[in-house]
Amino acid sequence: MYDPLGLAFTILGLLLGATVLTALLSGTVVLKRAAHWPLIIACGTSAVLAILLLLQVWKAGTVPRFVSDPITWFAAGKLTASVSLVVDPLSSIMLAMITFIATWIAIFSSGYMREGHRIDRGYVRYFAVMGLFVFSMCGLVLANNFLLLMGFWEGVGLCSYLLIGYYYDKPSAAAAARKAFLVTRLGDIGFLLGIFLLWKVGGWNTDLTALFDHIQKSPPDPTTLTTACLLLFCGAVGKSAQFPLYVWLPDAMEGPTPVSALIHAATMVTAGVYLIARCAPLFALVPDAQLVVAWIGGITAALAAFIAVAQTDLKRVLAYSTVSQLGYMFIALGTMGAVSPLFAVTAAMFHLFTHAFFKALLFLASGSVMHAMGNVIDMRRFGGLRRVMPVTHLTFLCGALALAGVPVLSGFWSKDMILEALQFGSAGAHANAGSFYALLLIALATAGLTAFYTFRAYFLTFWGETRVPEEAGHHAHESPSSMVFPLLVLAVGAIGVGVVAGPATHWFGDFLARTPSLRQAATIVGVAEPAPHFNWGIAGVSTLLALGGVGLAGLAYGNGGPERVPVAIEPVFTLSRNKLYVDEVYSALLVRPIEWLGAMARVFDQFLDALARLISAVPGFLGGLIRPIQNGLVQFYALAMALGLAVFLSFVVFLISR
Amino acid sequence: MYPLTDPLTQQTLTGVFRLVLPEIVLIGTACLVFLLGSLYNRRWLWFLGSLLGVVVAAVVAGVVKTGMPPAMTVAPIIPDATAGFVRWLAIISAAVFLFVTWPEVNRTNAAEYYGCLLVTVAGVSLVGRANDLITLFLALELISIPTYILLYLPSQTRPSQEAAAKYFLLSILSSAVLLFGFSYLYGVTGTTNLTAIIEGLTKANAERLSPMSLLAVVMVIAAVGFRVAAVPFHFYAPDVYEGSPAGVVAQLAFLPKVAGFVALARILGLLTTDPRHLPFDASTQVPLLLWILAVVTMSVGNILALLQDNIRRMLAYSSVAHAGYMLIGLVVASSLPDAKGRPGVGGVDALLVYLVAYGAMTVGAFAVILFLSTPDRPVESVDDLAGLGQSHPITAGSMAVFMLSLIGMPLTAGFAGKFLLFVGAFSAPADTLTMRHLYQTLAVIAAVNAAIGAYYYLRVIGVMYLRSPIRPAASSRAIPTWLAAVALAGFTLFFGFYPNPLEKAARKAVPVAAGSRTAENR
Repeated sequence: MYDPLGLAFTILGLLLGATVLTALLSGTVVLKRAAHWPLIIACGTSAVLAILLLLQVWKAGTVPRFVSDPITWFAAGKLTASVSLVVDPLSSIMLAMITFIATWIAIFSSGYMREGHRIDRGYVRYFAVMGLFVFSMCGLVLANNFLLLMGFWEGVGLCSYLLIGYYYDKPSAAAAARKAFLVTRLGDIGFLLGIFLLWKVGGWNTDLTALFDHIQKSPPDPTTLTTACLLLFCGAVGKSAQFPLYVWLPDAMEGPTPVSALIHAATMVTAGVYLIARCAPLFALVPDAQLVVAWIGGITAALAAFIAVAQTDLKRVLAYSTVSQLGYMFIALGTMGAVSPLFAVTAAMFHLFTHAFFKALLFLASGSVMHAMGNVIDMRRFGGLRRVMPVTHLTFLCGALALAGVPVLSGFWSKDMILEALQFGSAGAHANAGSFYALLLIALATAGLTAFYTFRAYFLTFWGETRVPEEAGHHAHESPSSMVFPLLVLAVGAIGVGVVAGPATHWFGDFLARTPSLRQAATIVGVAEPAPHFNWGIAGVSTLLALGGVGLAGLAYGNGGPERVPVAIEPVFTLSRNKLYVDEVYSALLVRPIEWLGAMARVFDQFLDALARLISAVPGFLGGLIRPIQNGLVQFYALAMALGLAVFLSFVVFLISR
Repeated sequence: MYPLTDPLTQQTLTGVFRLVLPEIVLIGTACLVFLLGSLYNRRWLWFLGSLLGVVVAAVVAGVVKTGMPPAMTVAPIIPDATAGFVRWLAIISAAVFLFVTWPEVNRTNAAEYYGCLLVTVAGVSLVGRANDLITLFLALELISIPTYILLYLPSQTRPSQEAAAKYFLLSILSSAVLLFGFSYLYGVTGTTNLTAIIEGLTKANAERLSPMSLLAVVMVIAAVGFRVAAVPFHFYAPDVYEGSPAGVVAQLAFLPKVAGFVALARILGLLTTDPRHLPFDASTQVPLLLWILAVVTMSVGNILALLQDNIRRMLAYSSVAHAGYMLIGLVVASSLPDAKGRPGVGGVDALLVYLVAYGAMTVGAFAVILFLSTPDRPVESVDDLAGLGQSHPITAGSMAVFMLSLIGMPLTAGFAGKFLLFVGAFSAPADTLTMRHLYQTLAVIAAVNAAIGAYYYLRVIGVMYLRSPIRPAASSRAIPTWLAAVALAGFTLFFGFYPNPLEKAARKAVPVAAGSRTAENR
């Protein structure tokens, strides 16, 4: 039982079991009301088991990696897909984080998805799909085979489709679900191509560990490997909502808010970051691919932060902030060749880890607001909620401070680590040092913007005079305890997890650095890992920027009330509010021409259809011709058999006597 | 020296009975059931008795360990890996058929019905291990003769009588052709032992082709073609499938096919320990003949299935088409002597996988038809299944699984089978003078056929889910049949998701294919 792999399989089994059990509960009303229990229990138990697993890995010897014996899933020719799990520091940290956060989101959902004593119509469906979602994500981080990973990856995509489109009778939700699915699929095409390219150059391996070893021993030519890595990165760009495929994530707000929390914090968008971290031994070999990763991350971070400034929908602000923070993580991953991969990946994963806590918190808190406001989330329509919802207010404040990067809170430490990685990258003699310097400036600017837009949202929602939309009725009140308690737990996490795991103990970095695949990447790059120390310069600048952003937001919006934008910067705000017209640009550059192409294709298609109908009529026509032979007369059948035999005999006799 | 005084020969001949103990158990049970059936006629009794017989046979098959007989050239029985595979297939299908045929059996015919079923299954198992022309013929007749009775037994209506008579006459004709072919083989080689015949012919044909042996093997192919329903020996299939009781048709669609393909593989020497040297390699044109047979069979089967409104006739032509796909396996396997490298997928192992998958999906489809048919609302045309999605969700789901598997959709067992067959054809060597690119062409033709097939299978699914019934399907109480159908659907899905165990078992059953794969990949 205490065997790490046994624990991993138990966790997967528990989550899948909970999903199936929940689906079976849809029978009667009484059982329907209890549909949240299997998931909560399974997630809670898995979280405990995942932490046990983490301790097992911690105590393991010099090579803390456990790979399960591969079970061949299918094999054809040289292609073998096997079911094989890997437990190492990287996957065990992810696993613990996913299950822990998911537990609290599940508990929160049990309160959110009901109105008083009336449960939502799709209550059972919600928890069943959510179980599958968490299961897929856990499988994704544990998979040691590219095809298996791809399977879980698509499972995550499917579940996100089902959950974003949860209110499927609402057209915008259905459209958002479709958009999320299709846009991420676009990236997945690259991912699949990348897998097969790697399969080809990697000694026909699809098992990650074997593939990495093979490529390290006999590296293919750099162009091929760069292509393969960039194709893998395509998948990550789609799943982790990076430029230019980030457009699905803000629309994904159409799903229930706890789903957003799950997607943004624990399950979906982290998959791309995890994928690159997992494939570090590949990316370490190709500096060009690293640079692309870093620049895509930088562009995304700045762009999304700018768009977030003028959004009026609270959840959209948070969504763009997720896109921006994910951009940060990719910047860190992109520095992999310039600084030691151990440091770069640790920075990215650490930010992912702290981000999971405060972003889950922020989303759940905004869900709590939405729940109380009768599903209104437009910040122009409410304000001054700090007196109405004191706990939600304080927990949101914790999350906002962490996101803004205010010192001592968790976001501060992880963000600093990324900035530090950039500083190392730009200081060294690396070929791309100039790029990293530019990225450092972008990251700093983004940090300031982040603090500003976060606190703009905070002040608009919680300060000023109390205003409540009429949808909320006359009894806008604090949420029930099943929703408030998870908020408190996550708030403690958002405050403390950074300092405890980071600068105070260096637990996170030391543990993650023992991951064999990262060590492998470090050997490939050969840059020494910087000693852990506190970088006062970076910390000072980022603190100043964070406090400056918060202060500016406080000056502009501290009194609450409707937003007043000075005439001077009105155009900037308009630009931001309209999301830099990216949707429109996409529409003009991509959608319109494609629609036109579609129209042309349709004409062509009709022609082909006619042709196909003509062809498909042929078998029927032939059938009509030979059908009369089947005339039901047994003597004719016997004759036909005899004739057939005669034909065969004469055929053979003719051929051999030739 | 008189051959029988040779101690090895004696040892071989006296050891024969040990090699067929499970078959003896099956036939013994059948005899008991026949005898006692005249005294007590209870459906439950004979159902349980037969099931017990099958279980005992399975236990015996699992417990008794056998080795190869010391003198193969006189041994009438060959207990090799293929024989083991076929035996397990037969025993498992016996249990499945006992459940499937439940509603067709009544208290007056239970003993005879189950007895005949057990004899048929024993016959199939014996075909797998026959190493002598006489044993082989006997085993094939053990399948045919009970089938005549079964076709007539459950319902003595006019269509069923007509079907039984047609099958009887044509089957006898094919048996006569088979015997004719066997007599030529005996005449050419002077022995009835298959090992000796294959060894002798391989040597003889390598030096100078013997036309007589070729005539003999063509007749054998024609006769076995009747049993597997290959064109132009398929004519009985639609009429018999339409008129006969569904449970018997399920057996008829599966058991003779297993027997036929295994017998053909045996006679063509594809199951010997040395398939690199075949009596009928490409220079004898036999692979080309099989190629033509495969193409004609799958094309005619699919094209005529398109036109059918009667679901049983449709399934009859579908079984013809699938016989065509399975012939690909034999074509590929008989190309092995020309292969310079080692092909990734051998022919016979793909054929065995396909036989299992085909059995599950076709028997399952007939089980669903049998389950839904009641005397006052029989299921005849495809339209009789309308609205099944609403009235019988699980049954309709199973039927949909069978249809998707027959199409060869991924994640069903049918896909795994088709995939292996097609890959085998695609990777077969193309360097012989007669065959050239015919293997790849065969794979392409088969793929086109599979696409045509999708049309009529999907029609069934469409009717079940998208149309509302004029008269809803009856609610049947044939629980055993329903259980068998659902189990077969589960089986189809399981081996679709995870085909590896099945593939492995089939690979083990074919000696050379196992060697070639381990050498290449692992």
